[in-house]
Amino acid sequence: MTISGLGPHGERAAPPERVSLLPDDRTAAKAAGWRVAVVLHTLESDWAKQQLAGMMGIFGDCGAAVIDVVDCAFSPDLQVAELDRLIAQRPDAILSLPVANEQVAAAHRRVSEAGIKLVLLDNAPTGLLPGKDYTALVSSDNFGLGKIAAAGLSAHIPPGADIGVLGFAADFFATNEREIAFTKWLQVNRPDVTPRLRRFARIEDAAASADDLLSANPDLAGLFVVWDTPALAAATRLAERGVTMPMATVDLGEAAAIALARGDSLCCIAAQQPFLQGVAAAQTVILCLLGRPVPAWVALPGIGVTGDNVVESFQTVWRQPAPREVLRLLGLSRGT
Amino acid sequence: MPPTGPDLSESARPRGKGRPRTAETAAPSLVELLNLVRTGAANTRQELERQSEFGRAVVADRLTMLGDLGLVDESELGTATGGRAPRLVRFAARRAAILVATLDQTAIGVGVADLSGKLLTEHHEAADLTAPPAELAERLTALFRWSMERHAPQGSIWGISLSVPGAVQGAAEGEFLTATPPVLPAWEGFPLVETLTRDFGVPVWMRSSVETMTMGELHAGAGTGTRSMLFLKVGRRIGAGIVCDGQLYRGAHGAAGLIGSLPITSAGRSGTLDALAGSDMIQRAGQQAAQDGRSPMLADLQRRGGEITAIEVSQAAQTGDPASVAILTESGHLIGQVVATLANALNPELIVLSGAIVQTNDTLLAALRESVYGASHPFVTRDLRIIRSQMGSSAGLVGAARVASEQLFAPGFLKEWVMQGSPLAHSAFAALQDRLAAATSPPPPPRSRPGQELAT
Repeated sequence: MTISGLGPHGERAAPPERVSLLPDDRTAAKAAGWRVAVVLHTLESDWAKQQLAGMMGIFGDCGAAVIDVVDCAFSPDLQVAELDRLIAQRPDAILSLPVANEQVAAAHRRVSEAGIKLVLLDNAPTGLLPGKDYTALVSSDNFGLGKIAAAGLSAHIPPGADIGVLGFAADFFATNEREIAFTKWLQVNRPDVTPRLRRFARIEDAAASADDLLSANPDLAGLFVVWDTPALAAATRLAERGVTMPMATVDLGEAAAIALARGDSLCCIAAQQPFLQGVAAAQTVILCLLGRPVPAWVALPGIGVTGDNVVESFQTVWRQPAPREVLRLLGLSRGT
Repeated sequence: MPPTGPDLSESARPRGKGRPRTAETAAPSLVELLNLVRTGAANTRQELERQSEFGRAVVADRLTMLGDLGLVDESELGTATGGRAPRLVRFAARRAAILVATLDQTAIGVGVADLSGKLLTEHHEAADLTAPPAELAERLTALFRWSMERHAPQGSIWGISLSVPGAVQGAAEGEFLTATPPVLPAWEGFPLVETLTRDFGVPVWMRSSVETMTMGELHAGAGTGTRSMLFLKVGRRIGAGIVCDGQLYRGAHGAAGLIGSLPITSAGRSGTLDALAGSDMIQRAGQQAAQDGRSPMLADLQRRGGEITAIEVSQAAQTGDPASVAILTESGHLIGQVVATLANALNPELIVLSGAIVQTNDTLLAALRESVYGASHPFVTRDLRIIRSQMGSSAGLVGAARVASEQLFAPGFLKEWVMQGSPLAHSAFAALQDRLAAATSPPPPPRSRPGQELAT
């Protein structure tokens, strides 16, 4: 699997193998006894939980104490306040997912100015530079995820149709990349299809945005939503209106996997690998604390998931068995 | 981004007795005061009076006009130093935006910057510059439209600035382009500048990527605050940006620093620095090493169907592949020998290396350092720092934004539009638009080839 996107400053991706830890690294890290804090956009989603699980295992192996895990609830103001609070606690490193662009840039810059190593997840605010304002960015190949979703949805779209695109209003590297890649793939490979765009500012607004999109474009033949939680909210709202259409999204959450297995509307998911991303992010933190050079952008490839491969993909992504409901829907679990 | 301001040639406020307010008398003082505020040289009325030597009434009048035009903002109070807190005079950098793009051999980048040249957003994606220019222009336009929709509504764009992989002929200081200059053979005959000017209704500037990246590094990267710097871009071509006394040195025709054309000799071979040390050589040598078994790592990559480019060789060198390390070392030594000559001539305080090859491995930087330190006078290298750029392709976008910002507010250009409050009202630009509108519309660009990606 190759990486098709470029980093926030045009960087070429480094594979996660570049931040592998050797036994010597673990020994040195244990002797140092570092303190680390994690700042995420939310702790509610399956993606966030898996990412944390990946991080915690590595930090545990390396004897690094995680002194705080912050839920920013997608709020830039809360993230700025929490980063300033954490700076005062003087951890050795902070792993942060910036929830916005310009609004949170200065607060992240303050972290590195305070001498605390900063590793970013999924988003690098414009103007912040690797090696100067942060150490490295670890993310999925979000451009590749958008292409996977477009290719998967396209197979279900008749010639000359309109496709809805439900984007995220916040200026956010990961969702911007997915949206750009999705529409680019259509322009190149399905020039007969017209994308119709709406953006939601908060997850709670996703259903209303889907409503607006459908009202403005009643002939929509399909829908792409930039991640799974708002996609499921949009699917529910469309179902309430008696509308079903093929949908594609990003992230193989448990509910999304069940929806995919049920085959009502979701037909393709471009899956991130949050557990492995958490592993790569924690390893990057350890390496930079050891003073080893780390790449500016570590990227993990996405996985195309349909009803046909949802079980094995779930196992790959989550390192767990697929949900019982998925197995039942696919006839793989024949118990009650 | 505020909506487009009113076209005012006169302040809306009542005029006092005896105040001159004709275009002839007001424009020069408006230009001087606006540039004092824009460059940060003065940010209170008192400082403006002191630095410009205009009287209090003139400064007050001109600031009122600039405020009405949306070019300055006086809503913020400064720190009191004994009496009342002074009202701060700020440049309204968000009055409009600049669209910027870098066109590289293997990637394009787009961004939106404010009028001070600060980047507000950016996006980079892989691209093939040998693709038909109409396809590239179509993709560039699509990305510009996407960026505008998110960060700069229609009507608030004041210029487009492009960074291109080659020296730009005819790019004189202070002038926007009226026709597409010859940059790459593949683009010959395609009206890129005319298309963008017509589609977006704004002036277009263009500079070489080495020039824009040097400016970006100087104003927002490792070169911030330095007076003398050498910037090196290592790719298919190898170019140098020269900063003397804090200013980019462009030469007579904007072609300064084309060091890749210098003839060199290495291991019995003679050729240009581009040919013997650039990315084409690295790629060829890597493919050869894979074929003759000297690089098991690259051979394995090839066996799995992967293409070997200079990037793969660089990454293999970083992971310790001996053949790839040798290739990058040779390239670094050759570039270093040429750079040492420049360093001895110019005595820079900082040398910054950039480009995807430099970014993906440490070998080339180490070899270049070795050559420069070994071949330079001790005084030249006593405090010399040789580092890798942290900005990546962002340097080109930031630099392109600085080019447009400096050209828009260059005194000679500014005085022609400041009274109207928008550079789009500049008489020469209006004439260009009329000429382009009168010209026959070009045929629509061809659709992309079926089943084939434009760029990725």
